[in-house]
Amino acid sequence: MLKRENIAVVLVLVGLAVPCNMRAASSPPSSTTEAVEGWQKEFEDVCSKTQDAMILSIDELTALVQKCDTLMPQIEKLDETRKKVYMGRLRMCRGLYAYVLESKKNEKK
Amino acid sequence: MRMCSSQKRTKRNERSIFLIVLAFAVLLLGSYASAQIYLPKAPPEPSAYGRVILQSHVATSPGPVVFDHWLHRSKFTCRLCHVDVGFAMKANATGISASTNREGFHCGACHDGKRVIEGRAVFASCSGDAASNKQCARCHSTDKKSGRKYEYNAFTAKLPAADYGVNWEAAEKSGVIRPVDFLDGLSVKKARIQNREDFSIKAAVSWVKPITFSHEKHSIWNGCELCHPEIFPTAKKGELSFSMYSNVHGRRCGACHGKVASPLNNCQKCHPRGPEWAEN
Repeated sequence: MLKRENIAVVLVLVGLAVPCNMRAASSPPSSTTEAVEGWQKEFEDVCSKTQDAMILSIDELTALVQKCDTLMPQIEKLDETRKKVYMGRLRMCRGLYAYVLESKKNEKK
Repeated sequence: MRMCSSQKRTKRNERSIFLIVLAFAVLLLGSYASAQIYLPKAPPEPSAYGRVILQSHVATSPGPVVFDHWLHRSKFTCRLCHVDVGFAMKANATGISASTNREGFHCGACHDGKRVIEGRAVFASCSGDAASNKQCARCHSTDKKSGRKYEYNAFTAKLPAADYGVNWEAAEKSGVIRPVDFLDGLSVKKARIQNREDFSIKAAVSWVKPITFSHEKHSIWNGCELCHPEIFPTAKKGELSFSMYSNVHGRRCGACHGKVASPLNNCQKCHPRGPEWAEN
């Protein structure tokens, strides 16, 4: 009798757990979504200034290089393909800002 | 036995002749070797220029992909594909696979069956079963009975011709082609490039005229970050070395010219009026 009761409890619990789990699997946790949106927004913000690099000041360029460095660890956490594509793009942005920064510093000397 | 003076003179003359012949042979061999190293080879037929064979390392794959650069450059800027989509500048260095295409990266960034380019949805890449999908043959087409849609001569007939292949600059100027530079969901909105100064690059040898490099022309399709700092790593004037040797070996200008952009063997294209011998 006790055994039957236990089985019934287990079945009820499993029955409750399955839909909850399915809901959890179908929509990513909000914190992950926020994180994804966070890095992408940051990425777009940082890399949107490459065409203006030549007219940016030394301070602005330095800040952009620093932002790229801050963003790198976040992109490292992405899945393999996404990481490869976006890391490549971020390196290009950073490289350009550092390149223009160096040329501006040389001009000042 | 002692040698008479006339015998000594003959011996000396023989030695001098030998030395002159030797010096001449060394010079001849040297110039031949340098010509082999520095002088660019003639490009292939324009239809095969820039063609990339993308090897597949999967046994079940329908074979290598034949990628025609001329077709894609008529539709997209260099920057879009090599910066935003992330295609490497060297063949087979990107790591493209059916799964990355299906995820919406690499070829799949456009070839997803949904994205509309020139008023039509671009066919989806790697979308079905490789064994039964005829669509595979549009890209995996190393055999001649393939299902490729575009043929070079028919496609370029409406485009302005250059000394070699298509004059892409004139094609864009006249509006026959309108290369896309922005993809929704992938590209980042940017302002137009400013401060693009043209400059002169002195040739290493006196008999070749200097190059006037147009920053504007090059940045329209490439943006800034495709060339700097990867291909041209320093901004210090006079510090960057240019040579035909580096170009022929795929560095500096040779990263594009001689591979996909105008070939290197047309001196006048970059050196106005060409080398002095060409003027006579």
